Amino acid sequence: MDPAGVFATSFVRDQALIRTRKQGIALVLFILVLFGLPLLTDVRTVAVVTSMMITVVVVMGLQINTGLAGQINIGQAAFMGVGAYAAALLASKAHWPFWAALPAAGVFAALFGLVFGLTAVRIKGFYLALTTIAAQILFHFLILTLPQKWFGGSNGLTLDPASLFGFTFNTDTRIYYLSLVVTLVMIAGAYGIARSRHGRIFAAVRDDDVASGMMGINVVRTKALAFLVGAFYAGIGGGLWAYYVRFVSIDQFTLIHSIWFIAMIIVGGMGSVTGAVIGVVVIRFAQEWITSVGPTLVEKFSFLSGDIVFASMNIFLGGVIAGFLIFEPRGLMHRWNIMKRSYRMWPYPY
Amino acid sequence: MVDFLNYLINGVLSGLLYALIAMGFVVIYRASKVFNFAQGELVVFGGYMVWWTVIQMGMPLWLGLPVAFLSAAIFGLLIERVFFARLVGESVFSMVMVTIGLLILIRGVVLVLFGPQVRAFPIIFPIEPLIWGDLIVSRTLLYGGLLTIAIGLGLSWYFNRTRAGLTMTAVAEDHQVSMSMGISVQHSIAIAWVLGSVLSTLGAIVHLSGRSINMMSSDIGLAALPVALLAGLESLAGLLLAGVLIGVVQSLASAYLDPLVGGAIGSVFPFIVMLLMLLIRPTGMFGWKTIERV
Repeated sequence: MDPAGVFATSFVRDQALIRTRKQGIALVLFILVLFGLPLLTDVRTVAVVTSMMITVVVVMGLQINTGLAGQINIGQAAFMGVGAYAAALLASKAHWPFWAALPAAGVFAALFGLVFGLTAVRIKGFYLALTTIAAQILFHFLILTLPQKWFGGSNGLTLDPASLFGFTFNTDTRIYYLSLVVTLVMIAGAYGIARSRHGRIFAAVRDDDVASGMMGINVVRTKALAFLVGAFYAGIGGGLWAYYVRFVSIDQFTLIHSIWFIAMIIVGGMGSVTGAVIGVVVIRFAQEWITSVGPTLVEKFSFLSGDIVFASMNIFLGGVIAGFLIFEPRGLMHRWNIMKRSYRMWPYPY
Repeated sequence: MVDFLNYLINGVLSGLLYALIAMGFVVIYRASKVFNFAQGELVVFGGYMVWWTVIQMGMPLWLGLPVAFLSAAIFGLLIERVFFARLVGESVFSMVMVTIGLLILIRGVVLVLFGPQVRAFPIIFPIEPLIWGDLIVSRTLLYGGLLTIAIGLGLSWYFNRTRAGLTMTAVAEDHQVSMSMGISVQHSIAIAWVLGSVLSTLGAIVHLSGRSINMMSSDIGLAALPVALLAGLESLAGLLLAGVLIGVVQSLASAYLDPLVGGAIGSVFPFIVMLLMLLIRPTGMFGWKTIERV
């Protein structure tokens, strides 16, 4: 919210994402830091940030699907898996170049997501969430039981590093820049969707689908579209992931991963594009912290066993989801907005 | 022919087991309008409580089982106190999301309390099967099935015919309306979780008797989902029929289709049925048809 006396005089200005000069400078600095990160830090940090950025793409899809359009999706990891497998197959079997395989991964995942989105024709609410669980289970089943020649079965698939115009992305730093560019494009797209006509339709359907239907919004089409876009993001993320680890297997895309994604949007703030990024960063940071601190604690206190790390990760995740829903359902983004507001208004209350 | 009959009977009985697990879902839904995604984890927790009282503490069955049921009830109440009591008045959406958090949380708690090892589960029902000629029937599933039918009919009567059950039904219809009618939503949710937790423990006993338990046992919660949906989330007696249907379909599919496909299609078949059911008749066979107003 802007302070009193500051107001937009045109629609374009009112809809602007970068509202002040300071915001613009901060954004440019932030992106510069991201581009300079491999020069500033070690390989490990670069790897963590790369996986964070890929997760951001996937979670952004979930944010559009669940946060903006209000359709609970507990199968985002399956959609991501479809993208990863599509990219891996197209690259390793059909020898598609990277620039074609990555969008194709998104399209395949989007079509898979659309199948489950189309069930919205007859189903609403939690029933719809159940079809996404079915998606997760069917995905596992299909990969594991179809002939091993097709999807690699339980062995998984390997693929060659991505290459673009003769340049091969075969080191951590190179794949970092690749992911950074793709992620920035996808985030910009998400901002575009959120403030467009479609974004407003999504929000209307989320807030009350009966009422929005009365107002002339095609509710079924909107829900299917939400799944389509959400799954497309998941597919792009999955494709990037496939090129990043260069090995795709079924246990990278389980129900637990889907729940982590949901936790990220809850922590970040439902319905906020920036919130999705914040949620991913906070949760992934906490994960890294637990996995690095855990073994040291186990060494210090002998009564703890090694399993405690895995168990405490579960307790942390469950506690975070429940805690945020109880104490701050609007997520960290809401807190941030409160802080920003009081900073802008200071020293006046409004 | 004998093979077919065997598959059929086993399908019916395992279907009734699914119905028992699904009853945990439906009881919680019928009294609080919350869809509990953590059902499998409740089953595992109940199972571990039985393991803890009977094997770890060495209590005899007549003492160990009641203690296990009691602690499951307390666990259910604890969940309600810690999480759902604070969410009364919030949207149902948040409550359902909390159960997704619970799914993970209970896994962690079980790992901390009981460890990741595979544990032997006590033998509650006699382990040797009943044999009539060529028919072989597992006693565990048979007794469990009879118990399921009794409990299903009893709970159905309770929720549809008694005053206490009907007030909870009102909560499942609409939180705000029931609050304005003077019905305590919190009370209803508490009863829902206690009942759900106890039923899950019973489900664990029938499911695991004479076998072994670890975290993987929670998969039964997902396997029971299609049963709950086929019946319609609001119907308790309908679960029995839906369970039998799903069980028979699954048993026949895994007997006759698996060799053809060369994989465990039997275990996925219920989900295909569930997807079709959702597309054709989302409210299930006996679910409520709701009319929406703005």
